[in-house]
Amino acid sequence: MSSLIRLKNLVLSSSIAFAALLPCVASATLGEPESSVQADSRQLQGSIKEADHDSYRVHEIQLPSGTLVREFVGLDGRVFAVAWKGPFIPNLRQMLGSYFDAYVAAAKATHADHRHLQIQQSDLVVQAGGHMRSFSGRAYLPQAIPAGVSLGDLH
Amino acid sequence: MPALARVLRYGCGLLISLCAISCGGGNSLTGASTGPVTPASNVVSVVVNAGPTTNSVNTLFTTVTVCLPGSTTNCQTIDGIEVDTGSYGLRLMASVLTLSLPVSTASNGNSLVECTAFVDGFSWGPVALVDLKVSGESASSVPVQLIGDSRFPNVPSDCSSVGPEEDTVAEFGANGIIGIGPIAQDCGSTCVSTAVPATYYSCTQTTCENTTVPLANQVPNPVSVFAKDNNGTIITLPNVAAGGAATVTGSLIFGIDTESNNVSGNETVLPVDPATADLTTIFDGQKLSSSFIDSGSNGFYFNDSSIASCTATGLTDFYCPASTESLSATLEGASGTPSITESFSVGDMASFESTFTAFPDLAGTNPTPGSFDWGLPFFYGRRIANAIEGYTTSVGTGPYVAF
Repeated sequence: MSSLIRLKNLVLSSSIAFAALLPCVASATLGEPESSVQADSRQLQGSIKEADHDSYRVHEIQLPSGTLVREFVGLDGRVFAVAWKGPFIPNLRQMLGSYFDAYVAAAKATHADHRHLQIQQSDLVVQAGGHMRSFSGRAYLPQAIPAGVSLGDLH
Repeated sequence: MPALARVLRYGCGLLISLCAISCGGGNSLTGASTGPVTPASNVVSVVVNAGPTTNSVNTLFTTVTVCLPGSTTNCQTIDGIEVDTGSYGLRLMASVLTLSLPVSTASNGNSLVECTAFVDGFSWGPVALVDLKVSGESASSVPVQLIGDSRFPNVPSDCSSVGPEEDTVAEFGANGIIGIGPIAQDCGSTCVSTAVPATYYSCTQTTCENTTVPLANQVPNPVSVFAKDNNGTIITLPNVAAGGAATVTGSLIFGIDTESNNVSGNETVLPVDPATADLTTIFDGQKLSSSFIDSGSNGFYFNDSSIASCTATGLTDFYCPASTESLSATLEGASGTPSITESFSVGDMASFESTFTAFPDLAGTNPTPGSFDWGLPFFYGRRIANAIEGYTTSVGTGPYVAF
């Protein structure tokens, strides 16, 4: 998939061209096509902003609770990362989709205290922290991150 | 906590430690003594030990007494309650309760049940009213959460969407938790106006729906509803020697500038963000604005790629430098002032003595890049005050943290 993205990157070097080719949809779930879900913002009752970068697009959902959710979509139209920050943890079942069960199983097995969570698997990384009224975190598919995207951008 | 303790023990293996146990009371920067204070009606003993699950590390516990509302005889004293400045509200594991406590009523007349989200999972159970006694302090008809109460076995889907369920003593790591940070309620004004998912629910026997809750019916920071000494707390713990200690005993003092034993001095008062209770830490040239001082974290959690991580399975998120590293960082009030630079140490976790439960040099990486978490090791050898939002002391108005 990453080689496909690189190939597409060569073709679609301009973010304008990239944006024009992607359907304008609401939001999506980790690992799933951007066009297949469109459900998160409706499910989460959030308002949306979008931003295009060279090799990915970001959907930003402001939830009524005050928490900000970001979903990162690659050139292949699939969500490769989700991130959140705010007073409440968002609906991770919705955001992680088919990865949610693996997240729960791993979270049960590896935690330090009630304030930190780090899951590092070959196909799924979850990093979360914070405390009551101030939470943040992200989940990403390490094998699906487009070339040239820095982990530091995914927040 | 249990998981950490297990991996700690795995990591420690058969290593023999020559480290000594420290029982002495050290001095804080301000010169005030630290460690246990003389017993008084506004003081309850706190202890760092292995806790109810027998495998906790750097976790602070105390004891509370709850009674049926209006009763002085139908009461139960419960130990193994985690002392947490990173949350707000008293929560008790239903499995250790012998009292049958009345469940609170939601606005629509159904039962009020709560989903409490922690980073590593959720705790589900009804809100109930208790008369609370801690040492000589008391409060009547206080909403508390009963975690894992069999009267409400069905967890709503949007509550369990937080992560794993932590509704037993083994899963949660304590018999309960007393959240005494600088905020007055667990949810606050947001839940008055908005039915936020994974917070409060109105439930029948079979179904639940998200609900708004008036402030007075939310689970409060219990200190804020004490009859007196209700403007905040001071936690005072002794110094702990570098190698750790089997157990550590200190005091939780209620009130700030309300009694002769809780007078403010020349400590630094750091206002925290009134919405998040966060402050700023400057470390290694980075400004980390989601930082916090937290008795409920069992180590220093920050990111420094120059410190070696542990290599043992399950320990790789923690630091294992070849020799103890001495570092410093600057804490700033949420609006930028004042600031104070503090030093701390990072030890080799793999060589920690496996029978100890208090480690002043325990540190790990922080999964949140913009955060420095000053956990329980920061409390050793200090008197740390938390003033509750809206309450005044002689040196400021909460929310603030001072030491």
